[in-house]
Amino acid sequence: MTRPGLTRRSALGAAAATLAVPAIGRAQGAALRIGAPLPLTGGLAPEGAKQQRGYALWADAVKAAGGLRVGDGRVPVEIVYADYESNTPKAVQLAERLITQDKCTLLFAPQGSGATKAASSVSERYKIPMVAATASSKEVYDQHYKFLFGTFTPNDTLTEPLADIVKAQAPVVKTVAILARNDLFPLAIAQEMDKSAKARGLEVAAFERYAIGTMDHASALTRIAGAQPQWLFATGYLNDLILIRRQMADLGLQPPVVTMIAGPAYKEFVGALGPLAENLTSAAWWHPAVRYENGAGPFPSTEAFNAAFRAKYNAEPDYGEASSALCGTVFQLAIEAVGSTDPLKVRDGLAALDVMTFFGPIKFGPTGQVDTYTPPVFQIQGGKPLVLYPALIKQGDFKLIG
Amino acid sequence: MLGQVLLNGVLLGGLYACIAVGFSLVWGVLNIINLLHGSLVVLGGYLAWLLFLAFGWHPIVALPFVAVAVGAFGAVLQAGVLNRVVGAPVLITLVITFGLDLMLGNALLVIFGADYQTIRPRWTLGTVRVLGLAVPLDRALAAGVALAATGALYLLLRRSWLGRAIVAVRMDRDAAALMGVRVGRVFIATFALGSALAGAAGALLGMVFPISPLQSEAYLGVAVTVCVLGGLGSVAGAAIGGMALGLIESVAGLVFGPEYASMVSFSLLILLLAVRPDGLFGRRGYA
Repeated sequence: MTRPGLTRRSALGAAAATLAVPAIGRAQGAALRIGAPLPLTGGLAPEGAKQQRGYALWADAVKAAGGLRVGDGRVPVEIVYADYESNTPKAVQLAERLITQDKCTLLFAPQGSGATKAASSVSERYKIPMVAATASSKEVYDQHYKFLFGTFTPNDTLTEPLADIVKAQAPVVKTVAILARNDLFPLAIAQEMDKSAKARGLEVAAFERYAIGTMDHASALTRIAGAQPQWLFATGYLNDLILIRRQMADLGLQPPVVTMIAGPAYKEFVGALGPLAENLTSAAWWHPAVRYENGAGPFPSTEAFNAAFRAKYNAEPDYGEASSALCGTVFQLAIEAVGSTDPLKVRDGLAALDVMTFFGPIKFGPTGQVDTYTPPVFQIQGGKPLVLYPALIKQGDFKLIG
Repeated sequence: MLGQVLLNGVLLGGLYACIAVGFSLVWGVLNIINLLHGSLVVLGGYLAWLLFLAFGWHPIVALPFVAVAVGAFGAVLQAGVLNRVVGAPVLITLVITFGLDLMLGNALLVIFGADYQTIRPRWTLGTVRVLGLAVPLDRALAAGVALAATGALYLLLRRSWLGRAIVAVRMDRDAAALMGVRVGRVFIATFALGSALAGAAGALLGMVFPISPLQSEAYLGVAVTVCVLGGLGSVAGAAIGGMALGLIESVAGLVFGPEYASMVSFSLLILLLAVRPDGLFGRRGYA
């Protein structure tokens, strides 16, 4: 079901295996090939591995059910992985190769907004539906491409509730400092935070950007300390945010509210920081604590999805993994709805989709981006992320640091 | 604020020096641009992390063991692979170390995964305030030990027979051989020493940075920059180059903003190369 890469040897191996067992192949019909360009090595490898885990979990569920239901028959699924080494131009090349050489008729998008936007020009040109698991920036969808769909709601759906909570429950906060990785998604969400804070009368006393691959944040944090903010909002990926939090402690920078996106949602973040993670707030598009039921597809509820994930990986899923499994699920639901694996029909099926899933209610908007569920805000308390918002699934109350 | 930034720069520079000094030694003596160096630093970090997991050892305690282990690994590589091509054009050794780097980097990726690991010792020194400056003592300790390791290499090269042999081979390989120096063994010892320093740097960096196979490129970049800045052929060059890079990045981050820190440091590097192509302290021989 899965292949680690697209080497000549693995291609020959796969061809030999196909020739050796033609009976099985014929009994199930030709497999539906879905291309998945992923950053399995390089700086984004941890995120790439998460996406792969989500896709593989969905593919396992489909396999267990005997394949996708297409009309009266069943069609097996094969995910063709290709490692773009965290190099966006290579992601674009591989997306094209997956379509033209590997004959994939559907695509999972690469990691993040930047690479997804870049690769979307390829899927649009070849009229191949592509579903993005981890692209939230509006700029990706403002292109009004017909074959691009995304399972993340826009960035401001994360920053608006965060700003509401801090404004209402932390009156001590008057000024905010923003420290953003100079990268498409981290910068976009920082800019949304800037708007959300200003809209509530909070002063943004510092807005610093750091370069990708920065090994030291002491200068940026020293500048921020000079602004004496009561709320520090930092964006980046796991490595950046672990380092930033550690260096904040080194420099004695301790504002009463610290928010980080997107690190605290990952279990590795809490493990790496221990007590320093305590009372950090964050927001994500999904959390294992959300509870959706009567979902369509292979995972009928959030709890069923969590259980399947735990059984396969012996770990709690995070939003990246869940969203990736959701991408497979929406492909499945669209295919089953239209009764065909033809890319044009699957595209129409995706556009018409309006379903409840383990992830939440899913309906793609006119630009292809979902805007039908409420992303949860959470805070690390006692070493665990507790949901603060929405009220329906609230697990704890907001606390200040220190 | 400037005082704090200068202090940050010095602490960062100490670590940079430790990353670079082993790389500089190997480049200066063997004329091998060791592209494997960053991965050896990461290997040192993982060994320190494993010793922490298994025995709860602080990276400082684990450091000698890590250095010996990575040094032994380097000796095997030099004896088994690099000694065969040591006289070859620099492109050959460049390609070989590039290949070895891919192999080691991917082996680390397969063994340890792409996730970041961190060492959280039971005791940490915390931060003290001196004259209004926040001094992170763990970082200061790491930088201090890094500079001590650099100093130890300096003494080794100047005071020991092995050190003199290394310097002799660096200055004139043929003459050293005629004087009875076994050049092949000196090469092995030099590469082992460079690798041991990389391992030591990895253990020290493990106190500060998350450990991941993906960090190797950044460490290699630091090593190359520091060597070009400080100049090849002297321990002092690597130490001062490291300090200079740490300070330039920190001050540039303060003055121009963190996003421009690398741009400013590389612009200065280009300027320096135009004025002093051998770096600040480049010279023949190694001491």
